[in-house]
Amino acid sequence: MSIFVAVDQVDKVFPLTDGGEYVALKGIDLKIKKGEFVSFIGHSGCGKSTLLNMIAGLSLPTEGVITLEGQRIKRPGPDRMVVFQNYSLLPWRTVQENIALAVNSVMKDLPKAERQAIIDHHIDMVGLRPHADKPPAMLSGGQKQRVAIARALAIRPKLLLLDEPFGALDALTRGNLQEQLMKICEEHQVTVIMVTHDVDEAVLLSDRIIMLTNGPGSQIGQILDVDIPRPRKRMEVVEHPTYYVLRSEIIYFLNQQKRIKKLRAKKISVVSRHGLEKVNLDMGFVPLTACAPLAIAKEKGLFQKHGLDEVNLVRETSWRGIVDGITGGYLDAAQMPSGMPFWLTLGGHQNKLLPVVSAMTMTRNGNAITLDKRFYDQGIHTLNDFKKMLLGSPERQHRMGLVHPSSMHNLLLRYWLAAGGIDPDRDLSLQGIPPAQMIVDLQKGTIDGFCVGEPWNTRAAMERVGFTVATDLEIWSGHPGKVLGVRENWATAYPNTHIALVKALLEASQYCADPANEQEVRQIIAQREYLSTDMAYIQLGSASEPVCELDQPMREYAHHLFFGDGVNRPSRTEHLWHMTQLARWGHTPFPRNWVEIMERVCRVSVFSTAARELGILDVKYTTGSIQMFDGAVFTADDPISYLNNLQIKRDFSITDVILDSPRLAGAA
Amino acid sequence: MTANITNRKSNSLDWFDTFWKKQGSNIIPPVLGILGFLLIWQLFSSSGLTKLPGPLSIWTDERTRTLLLYPFYDLGGLDKGLFWQTLASLGRVAQGYSLAALIGISVGILVGTQPLINKALDPLFQFLRMVAPLAWVPIALVALQQNQPAAIFVIFITSVWPILINTAEGVRQIPDDYNNVAKVLQLSRKEYYLNILLPAALPYIFTGLRIAIGLAWLAIIAAEIVMSGIVGIGFFIWDAYQQNYVSEIILAVVYIGTVGLLLDRAVAYLQKVIAPTEQK
Repeated sequence: MSIFVAVDQVDKVFPLTDGGEYVALKGIDLKIKKGEFVSFIGHSGCGKSTLLNMIAGLSLPTEGVITLEGQRIKRPGPDRMVVFQNYSLLPWRTVQENIALAVNSVMKDLPKAERQAIIDHHIDMVGLRPHADKPPAMLSGGQKQRVAIARALAIRPKLLLLDEPFGALDALTRGNLQEQLMKICEEHQVTVIMVTHDVDEAVLLSDRIIMLTNGPGSQIGQILDVDIPRPRKRMEVVEHPTYYVLRSEIIYFLNQQKRIKKLRAKKISVVSRHGLEKVNLDMGFVPLTACAPLAIAKEKGLFQKHGLDEVNLVRETSWRGIVDGITGGYLDAAQMPSGMPFWLTLGGHQNKLLPVVSAMTMTRNGNAITLDKRFYDQGIHTLNDFKKMLLGSPERQHRMGLVHPSSMHNLLLRYWLAAGGIDPDRDLSLQGIPPAQMIVDLQKGTIDGFCVGEPWNTRAAMERVGFTVATDLEIWSGHPGKVLGVRENWATAYPNTHIALVKALLEASQYCADPANEQEVRQIIAQREYLSTDMAYIQLGSASEPVCELDQPMREYAHHLFFGDGVNRPSRTEHLWHMTQLARWGHTPFPRNWVEIMERVCRVSVFSTAARELGILDVKYTTGSIQMFDGAVFTADDPISYLNNLQIKRDFSITDVILDSPRLAGAA
Repeated sequence: MTANITNRKSNSLDWFDTFWKKQGSNIIPPVLGILGFLLIWQLFSSSGLTKLPGPLSIWTDERTRTLLLYPFYDLGGLDKGLFWQTLASLGRVAQGYSLAALIGISVGILVGTQPLINKALDPLFQFLRMVAPLAWVPIALVALQQNQPAAIFVIFITSVWPILINTAEGVRQIPDDYNNVAKVLQLSRKEYYLNILLPAALPYIFTGLRIAIGLAWLAIIAAEIVMSGIVGIGFFIWDAYQQNYVSEIILAVVYIGTVGLLLDRAVAYLQKVIAPTEQK
């Protein structure tokens, strides 16, 4: 379908009384198709109503153009009827007269009888026949809103604009009206734009949800497609597998906006002390067992020991938060999934190249693949069984959860599936879900399994909702799990801080790896500010313990590696493996200049300096090849022919990736 | 037959009973208040503390009693009963007030919808508004040469301001929502005035009209006192004062107060009928 409404590079600036100006909206670009239901969502004052008013023609954009069917919108008109937030019924006219005013003034050319028929039809449509001769003051809020909707629809607008239509109604009335509205819109094929701040309402009603960032200078932060089939029922949409994904996506976005607002208000200053360029750091982490080194460094005072006096750990519920924190510049450093530094560097996030460097691998292992317990009961115990089941039931869309495209979970899961002859994109559908939500989704049956870090696999097994079908020990023992990541310009601006940070974390890793400290570490990370979970779910384990047993009890223990030979030093071969896998699945292009990119991202020198200063000199480094569970051996010799030789892969591209030369953080 | 009569009687008694039960509490206090006030006044004047005759003088003074009992007599010239005097004054008020309403509402709408005109005229309005009705009398007499049009002009100029200013404010206070509805529906100018602007501004306009009717009535008395030789309750008072018939003045004042009260109630009633307040 062709473009119906086009918003093209629109800015809106309001003059202020003190002579200044307020930029409400900046660079809004949006195209709406005929028959689409689009919602604007955002915090109060984000300019969503302003945008709606501009489409209505009630105010004009300061810059840019808005068109309806190719015609520039210059003034309001009945083809873009608005349903205002507070109904805007004329109190001195009855229900019937209010609708008649609209119909009579817009459809002057029709004979009187026909106009009356239209009025009556719409009164009946919203079920207000018994109230037709009452003034609005005698109606309830929901009835008034129905009159407003009837009035708007009666004049057959090309575009219906709703400004928080159900904001002032109680939940029950709102629900009924939402369903009525959906029915009417579907019957009449109306194109609708709705402003709302109700997340559930947006998901229920919309085909697309436009999320606006906070003002001043609001922009479209993100656009969500709602793929829930119509007709939708209020009680049924919540059952749809993507409902909660969409919902949490919007809530995440809104929360993020709130945080950014807070951060904007906070004065950002750099405190330098002890010969370090910056000692006040905000460091992001996601509550997983693998965050132990960070928690220990904080709790045991290791940050202070190395001069980092003011380290603030920022708990993010998902890796999205880490990505936004690093790209937005409000996190100094973060615990990242091992693929994230390259993913960000190569433009995985919104196709923007953001050089990120990694100087330390913080943990290894600690991941596993969990499947729904019902598969176990059906006798599906291995990858091969799983494949047979998948190929045997093509009519059902099977879904698996993973935490982030750049995470080892995604790459491991895909590798594991592909090695078993399962195409992870065609035979399955993979969905990004925050780690803590996996078990809930598995329980509800919206996913059939997941690959995630501990404690979630252990917990799924202990709560008997899933079973561990494979652990990383089987797929790639000793794979990198989480790494330390900072922006390249940050590393350039604060080189000594970077080294101090690696020192503190390296020492913390050493502490975690000591079996004598196991109880204490488990206790600390079970606390509220970290995992906030039962200590029983937290298992550090060791690689020497037996691999997953499929016999009772169906549980396996994590076997995190925190410290030891070849554990912490960033490995070029491993990073190259990540690069190839990210390219294999089409997440990022493979850089033809990968050697150069590798040197930029993988900061072995920082690690070496830190290790030397700590006096850790006796740790061996493993270099060379990676041995995978399917017998394949990965070497750093020829990644491009490795990629070409893979059986299951997406169309990947090989390009020269030109990164900006490193700049100072202050100049960024 | 007799039974019928008693029935009817008891029916009317019943009706009176229920009315009394309902309205008694609304009637007794004001009646008591007025009686108390008159009593104190009478005591003051009987005790000789003031030369002002007491309320009873309306009855005891013979000239005044005649006026009280025969409001409709007409001996030609200025010698007319109080009804005719009041009616003459009311006639002037009706003309001046109607003119004020017409011009006040139209100019008020103009000023309310056109901010530029408002800016241009507002200082002038605020200046003229402050001029007392009496100060207009000589100006009006000089300008119009005759008593009758001058009196009407004074009423007009006194009562036009509250109407004008309230109308303008009412127009400015029309909620954006209503205006937006008009804009989206692309109502013609006429449709907009009739369907949106007037009904929305009506409560304000009536507030103005109610204030104005009181002012108009005040102004006519003041104007007539100064304009000698016309029929009207204002000049009647002046004439009585010149001849020292003080109790006649008291009677005229009762007429004036009563008419003022009735005028206010009449406009209030109109407001209730045309622009009910329950609207939001």
